[in-house]
Amino acid sequence: MSSIVTSIEKRSEKFSFWPRHNEAIYKRLESKHAWLEEKHHPDDARERAEDPLENEMTLNIGPQHPATHGVLRCAVKLDGEIIEKCVLDLGYLHRGIEKLAESKTYQEFMPYTDRMDYLAPYSNNVAWCLAVEKIAAIEVPERAQWIRTMMCELARISAHLLWLGVGLMDAGALSVFLWTFQYREDLYKIFDEVAGARFTVSHSRIGGLASDVSDTSLAMIRDFTDNFPEAVDGWEKLLNRNRIWIDRNNGVGVLSAEEVVQMGMTGPNLRGSGVAYDIRRFEPYLKYNDVDFNIPIRSEGDCLARYFVRVDEMKESVKIVRQCLENLPEGPIREDNAKHAYASKDEVYYSMEGMIHDFMYTDTGVCPPKGVETYHATEAPKGELGFYLISDGTGKPWRVRINSPSFTNLQALEPMMEGGAIGDMVILIGTVDPVMGEADK
Amino acid sequence: MPKHSTLNFQFTPVDPPKEDAENPHAKDTTFVPDDLEALTTEFGDDVLQSTLYANEHTVWVNRDRIVDVCAFLSNERGFNYLVDLGGVDRFTEDERFEVFYNLVSIEHGKRIRVKVRVDEEEPVVPSVTDVYPAANWNERECWDMVGIKFEGHPDMRRMYMPEDFEHHPIRKEFPLLGIPGSLPLPPQEPGGDLTMDPFAAAHGSRPIKSYEEEKTESEQ
Repeated sequence: MSSIVTSIEKRSEKFSFWPRHNEAIYKRLESKHAWLEEKHHPDDARERAEDPLENEMTLNIGPQHPATHGVLRCAVKLDGEIIEKCVLDLGYLHRGIEKLAESKTYQEFMPYTDRMDYLAPYSNNVAWCLAVEKIAAIEVPERAQWIRTMMCELARISAHLLWLGVGLMDAGALSVFLWTFQYREDLYKIFDEVAGARFTVSHSRIGGLASDVSDTSLAMIRDFTDNFPEAVDGWEKLLNRNRIWIDRNNGVGVLSAEEVVQMGMTGPNLRGSGVAYDIRRFEPYLKYNDVDFNIPIRSEGDCLARYFVRVDEMKESVKIVRQCLENLPEGPIREDNAKHAYASKDEVYYSMEGMIHDFMYTDTGVCPPKGVETYHATEAPKGELGFYLISDGTGKPWRVRINSPSFTNLQALEPMMEGGAIGDMVILIGTVDPVMGEADK
Repeated sequence: MPKHSTLNFQFTPVDPPKEDAENPHAKDTTFVPDDLEALTTEFGDDVLQSTLYANEHTVWVNRDRIVDVCAFLSNERGFNYLVDLGGVDRFTEDERFEVFYNLVSIEHGKRIRVKVRVDEEEPVVPSVTDVYPAANWNERECWDMVGIKFEGHPDMRRMYMPEDFEHHPIRKEFPLLGIPGSLPLPPQEPGGDLTMDPFAAAHGSRPIKSYEEEKTESEQ
């Protein structure tokens, strides 16, 4: 029986795994790992200094590292503690959902969007449904729009809570993680009550929603909005004047307003550098024109500014949810047009036409006009989430292009890391707030 | 002519395109006639055509002038924020591919979509990374997925797939299940050989097991 632990000689022989890929990354870094360099140039090995800290070292962090928030691989070239150069390697969670979308009907693809930004699945569902509704010119009833607005904001709180807890855990404070997860648990219970699923909700439908909200769930949401602001105040008391937290974040990963626009960053990362760009104001969708809220902006552009932006965003989200609860109108939750949206279950179970409509919608579904293309963007918790659809006139999209905020934000991580300390690396990954399910698509 | 061939299974009749004012999700930001006019006066015949659907303007320009067009839009018209860039496989005989540029002017609150058409024989587009550094990863992704090279790109590696992979998956001829043997995966046991067929099970062969199973009666 062979041993589980392979010897180092054997392992270095086995380095042929994806050789061209790894070679390309190291070539980009212009330096190789010490033992790899020795392997290729055995003569140079003698010239090395004896103290390993005085050599340049290449370190592979991830893809299976807890601090990289998913399967992100960072190949960094270190000079002592300073990161000289950083190359990110994505694709370890690449499932090719753009390709998968081309073989699904528009409604069939909706559950796949849950698996992109799995920290805020509701926003993804809504973003996809809005994109399809735009290309097929489908109207959505008022009540459904209000519910979608409310649930999207709850999803934003949920995503930012995870960012806060995990970001603090990266900095060494475990207790905040437990506190934020209590409130995430409350949110999961709300999603469970509204959609019937805690995690992958899949509640939105093209032309409306799968089901109406119950009085119980509305009461739960009201309870949450009553309790949550107090909790945020408590965390802010702990963190806003916390010496360790401020020292770890202040002046780390500074990006100017010009830089973030050039690098194409979105969401809180963009607003933390003083650029006023929020899709909720830029291209108002759903009911964001009818609610009163502010968009927090900071001009410092460092990790601390991004922390303040996200915490303030959570408070604004609570404000929006409250207004949605007040303004929630009565009415249908799905459009009453069998070509545009699913027929209601009452119709499906008790009438022949309803059953035929249900079958046809599942089989063929929405057919947008031939050859048209639209782009619809929403402000997901991480930034601008847009779907660019091209239709060929059938029930399946010809091309789906997903503009995911995590992908665009991660691009700026490479220059942010360069010149920083290795200890700040986890803080920087945390502040960019990537979700690899979305970045890798 | 046999009767059955006349049956056309178009279950849901396709609606004609609606007028733009009727689209409930149309946005003001994507309606940019002024910028299109500026582009036409600046570049003349290199602006090939423009369309409007759901209040969204799309403009096709000559592939060779795309860097100039982007520089003009960025410097003169305020479109300094590149939101998205990607490739489309149109699967037509000539000018098979398309590359689109989704540009935003934060200052003026406008969004424009610029497109170039690329031929299959020579799928090369000038890179816009000098104008928009944000295009870097998007162009790499486009090379990875669609197989369009970007001339002048500083780092033309694949984005998601490893360099050892030789296909471009979003192309229409690439099968949904993947191509067997195209992607080496780690060994199934320590010290073993690389697994060369990640889709073995999908193509009918049995997965390797770490233990021996007793044969069923029918197999004996």
